[in-house]
Amino acid sequence: MTAPLIAFKQVSKVYGRGEATIRALDKIDLTIAQGEFVSIMGPSGSGKSTAMNIIGGLDLPSSGEYIFQGIPTSGFSRAQLTLLRRHMLGFVFQGFNLLARTSAVENVELPLVYRGMSHAERRGRAMAALEQVGLRGREGHTTQELSGGQQQRVAIARAIVTDPAVLLADEPTGNLDTKTSIEIMDLITRLNRENGITVIMVTHEEDIAAYARRLLRFVDGHLVSDETQVKEASHVV
Amino acid sequence: MWFETAKLAWRAISRNMLRSFLTVLGVVIGVAAVIAMVTIGNGTTAKVRDELSRLGTNTLFVRPGQWGPGRASAEAKRFTDNDITAIRDQVSGLRAVAPINRGTATVIAGGANRSTSVIGTTSDYLIAQDWELALGRDFLPNEDRGSQAACIIGETTRRELFGAADPVGQSIRVSNVSCPVIGVLAVKGQSGMGDDQDDTVIMPLKLHQRRIGGTTTISSIVLSAQDGVSTAKVQADVESLLRERRRIAIGRDDDFSVNDMSQIAAAMTGTTMLLTGLLGAVAAVSLLVGGIGIMNIMLVSVTERTREIGIRLAIGALENQVLTQFLVEAVMLSIFGGVTGIITGLALAYGVVIFLEVPFVASPTIILLAFLFSAAIGMIFGYFPARRAAQLNPIDALRHE
Repeated sequence: MTAPLIAFKQVSKVYGRGEATIRALDKIDLTIAQGEFVSIMGPSGSGKSTAMNIIGGLDLPSSGEYIFQGIPTSGFSRAQLTLLRRHMLGFVFQGFNLLARTSAVENVELPLVYRGMSHAERRGRAMAALEQVGLRGREGHTTQELSGGQQQRVAIARAIVTDPAVLLADEPTGNLDTKTSIEIMDLITRLNRENGITVIMVTHEEDIAAYARRLLRFVDGHLVSDETQVKEASHVV
Repeated sequence: MWFETAKLAWRAISRNMLRSFLTVLGVVIGVAAVIAMVTIGNGTTAKVRDELSRLGTNTLFVRPGQWGPGRASAEAKRFTDNDITAIRDQVSGLRAVAPINRGTATVIAGGANRSTSVIGTTSDYLIAQDWELALGRDFLPNEDRGSQAACIIGETTRRELFGAADPVGQSIRVSNVSCPVIGVLAVKGQSGMGDDQDDTVIMPLKLHQRRIGGTTTISSIVLSAQDGVSTAKVQADVESLLRERRRIAIGRDDDFSVNDMSQIAAAMTGTTMLLTGLLGAVAAVSLLVGGIGIMNIMLVSVTERTREIGIRLAIGALENQVLTQFLVEAVMLSIFGGVTGIITGLALAYGVVIFLEVPFVASPTIILLAFLFSAAIGMIFGYFPARRAAQLNPIDALRHE
């Protein structure tokens, strides 16, 4: 039996000291398998963003163990966490977080630049990723010349260009209108189904969360519910 | 990877060209000052050397006291006629031995008068100095020995006193001594120190001693070795002879000096180099200030681009890669300043050099040094801001507005 892709063992995250102590995560146990599509919901301050940061290797737990593909990450250095992000994870943010005044294709190439890949190979992979998100022909447009939905597509292309094991999406539709949100969610769903990328998504919108097969709810640092949704995401409109 | 980093850095710099230029202005001024000063200094030094070398490498100057910057020679005993005779008799290989007494006097001819340098010497002086006559004749042997009046004048003195007229055979008054002009010197031009060598009157030593200097001694001697004779040998012979005659005990320093032109040139250029060094220190301070300017603007840049740094860190940039990026940017900025400064400095020096009529001597060493120094300034002052960027927490950086 292979280890689960992601496992939390009694993970806690505590901010501050003494009276001002905030327990953002309290002894969370959780496993996510390869190929899952998981939504994380919860009110603000529930710990969902903290959980996302720990999964994304941007933060380390105060106690407990975060195990990625069977490898415990406690004691990982900053550089090791960076390499975990570089090779295994792709990020999509609410605010798109593309580089300004930079073309779409160069934005998508960025993670490959840090891998030291040659220009030609980079360009080829970036173009393929842009094709996958339906932005072929827009590669030369700079960030400012693209609509919100197109910017988020560029961000998704940037996240998948490295063939990551996990796509981490933090409120991916938070800045988009309903129609564009549906397009983006269809794209993410397709990537999960067709490419087998594990998707973990934080959202506060029920209809967006409904795209996922599995729904986690956080309240006050506790995981209060973990349910698998029977209906297929594609039926939700 | 390096190409990518350089491209990114160039993009960041060119995105805000005016700010980048103002940032490096301090480095530009510092480098330009160093380059201009050294180039001008080299030019004047080259001119001094060139003119001194034209006086001949087989010429030696004998003076009382140790000669050089900051050495007082007033205390040392002057030379006598007997010293001249002894040198002439006992040192072999000499072409000319001329005593020199200098003074300044008012020279009058007709209605014109002029304050001029007056040299008392013998006919050997023109031989030792390789100085030709344009008109007339040199001193005769009886004029060398006696104190009868005879004067040779330089071209400037001739022009000022006689205008277009032929002065030979006419009489001038030098400090109340009536003196017939027997010759006019060929034009020699400015000396290495910048004074007009043609503004002079030469008269027999005895006349000078009695009527101008009021002395019986000799202030300096110029020697010229014969062709093919080692100047060093002559120099050593003269030194040992004079030590003996001046009764200097073994182990004591000479109270006179015998120098050839290259030694005098070295002493003179030493002064120029000291000056260049001092000005260089001032320029170094301005480079330091320029470096602080770069550090300041790099810190601003890191703050402005916090979010961008956060994105880069989140998607897999290592600390070192971010550090390198900002460091390259700072070094590129300062090199940009350095190169601009080198070009500006050379242009400035070129203008001044033409104005001063000295050769343009650009030193590759100092240009390379200025280039490396400006790169080092970017490296040193860019390190702190770059490290600050690299150590940002990606979560906080991504939240930064």
